[in-house]
Amino acid sequence: MPRGLWTTTVGSFPKPPHLERARNQFARGEISADKLREIERDATIEVIRSQEEIGLDILVDGELYRGDMTTYFAELMEGFQISNPVRSYGNRYYRKPVAAGPVRRTEAWTVDWWKFAQSQTQKPVKGMLTGPYTMMDWSFNEHYPSREALAMDLAEAIREEAIALAEAGAKFIQVDEPAISVRPEELKLAVRALGRAVEGVKAKTITHICYGDFDVIYPALLDLPVDMIDLELANSRYDLLDRFRQHRFTKEIGYGVLDVHSHRIETKEEIKQGILRGLELLKPEQMYIDPDCGLKTRTVEEAKEKLAVMVAAVREVREERGITA
Amino acid sequence: MKVETTLSGSFPKLPLEPGAPNVRVVRNRMDQGKATPKDLAEAARETTRRIVALQESAGVDIPVDGQVAWDDEQTYVARGIQGFEIAGLIRYLDTNTYYRQPEIAGPVSWTRPVTVEDFRAAQAMAHRPLKAVLPGPYSLYRFSKDRHYKDPREAVSAVGEALALEAKALEDAGAAWIHFEEPWLGRARAADAALAAAALTPVFRGRKAKTVLHVPFRSPAAVFGAIRDLAWDVLGLDLVEAPDSWSLIAQVPKGRAVGLGLIDARNTKLEDPRQVAKEVRRARAMRSDLSWQLCTTASLEYLPVDRAAMKVARLTEAARLASANGG
Repeated sequence: MPRGLWTTTVGSFPKPPHLERARNQFARGEISADKLREIERDATIEVIRSQEEIGLDILVDGELYRGDMTTYFAELMEGFQISNPVRSYGNRYYRKPVAAGPVRRTEAWTVDWWKFAQSQTQKPVKGMLTGPYTMMDWSFNEHYPSREALAMDLAEAIREEAIALAEAGAKFIQVDEPAISVRPEELKLAVRALGRAVEGVKAKTITHICYGDFDVIYPALLDLPVDMIDLELANSRYDLLDRFRQHRFTKEIGYGVLDVHSHRIETKEEIKQGILRGLELLKPEQMYIDPDCGLKTRTVEEAKEKLAVMVAAVREVREERGITA
Repeated sequence: MKVETTLSGSFPKLPLEPGAPNVRVVRNRMDQGKATPKDLAEAARETTRRIVALQESAGVDIPVDGQVAWDDEQTYVARGIQGFEIAGLIRYLDTNTYYRQPEIAGPVSWTRPVTVEDFRAAQAMAHRPLKAVLPGPYSLYRFSKDRHYKDPREAVSAVGEALALEAKALEDAGAAWIHFEEPWLGRARAADAALAAAALTPVFRGRKAKTVLHVPFRSPAAVFGAIRDLAWDVLGLDLVEAPDSWSLIAQVPKGRAVGLGLIDARNTKLEDPRQVAKEVRRARAMRSDLSWQLCTTASLEYLPVDRAAMKVARLTEAARLASANGG
């Protein structure tokens, strides 16, 4: 009997309102770092419990202790400063890393959080990092002579963290590279940097990529030196499958079936149809079913409902096709 | 000869000084029901006043209004043009910013001014002529999803005609300068040349105002042959991210102007004005039959406000040095 169609998520979960309040209170100096940490730990336990109740196969810690996916790491590294707010859209702003000197990892960034999350469950918890190309592309560079030089130094630092996660016991390590798809001419640099970041890491390695011109970067994307590439399928109405038809997808795939930008809860039937379309081109053992991207922009309730429908759809497909987990 | 200075697009909305009117804070308070649209309009007006004053006190020759009401670089104008609907958030090229994607859902036509009221209000605060900024028609089309037209050429022409009428309305309101921001021209391939020309032709035809065709991020070399002879007055080039744009200067028609994008709007690292002035002199040495502007490579909104303000100061200092040493 074939195995496959394991269920997971891309990484972030929505922060519950009381945690958002606590983060704001901490920023205003109204609560201590210890108090915030306590609230973050409780919220992480809740996220782990939710994932178990929903029935996901591979869990995440939910990244409830992180803000922006680059700034979180930059704040913990030597060589980075953090800018004043920069607008990303409308009234949304974020503080952007500034590489002001040689960038280095001087402490663990996520290992303690990973250990804590893993201690709450028997199921595997993914280690979650941001990739060197994306860290470079989404930072200002005041120090390095080239984008390549910054990316490769970041790759060294990220590799140290990935190895530390694997040594702590992480069986899955995801190194997100959402920036890859927007500068196809730098795909070779991204491949090299990511390759260095995961070199010698004894775990299943994954990268997540979203939004971009896949016509230009596929099939070259398959050169990324990881075991699994996680992609958004639902948001583009599964049109990536047309490209897979022209050129076979040869790696394991994180197969996104939930549109994370929509409040609408997908129906079980539409998710099943999406998976069945994938099974026309992919083997079940290649496929890990998940949302298109992180769930942090949804409400806690929306995230749970979407994931519950996803897991129900996968169970039905497994049953109908005789696939086991 | 004096090198004129200008900005290419918008400017950060947040104040440099704590406690100053802040549109971000007011919008957040509105979301909580603690502020009114009138409060927001007041904060926006003061923000525009601050942005215009910052440029004027730094000595910018052709200031912009900062596009304070715009959520991104496309949808503020698209939303006001008939035929467009506005869809979900997607990435804005490789800038790590987002925009709401316009969708062409029906025939595109201009029915009313979209930016004129903002322009009039900002111009009334300024002591010199402001430059009005519009999305370029080719880029607006490429950033949009076309659900209506079967023929892309018909679509780009319609978008171009609509933006031409907006430009006409700006001229009628007194705009002496109109800037078209065209990031997609740098991504166009040679096969797109006719489409790019079809989009741009209407917006430059018969203009009374001086026009700027600005291409941030990449060189428009692949389509330059098709747009070279259109009736723009200034070609703005990003000479930091796209140094290959230098080669286009040789092809600019006699008597036109080139906007030298030498102040990097995408990196906080500050330029040395002496080095920038040297680059300006290098350009002038290439062609004695052109006029010159010194500008930012793109919108300064990609930077935090403190660095954006410093960049404006470097811009004017570099132009002063270039004019003093070579003019």
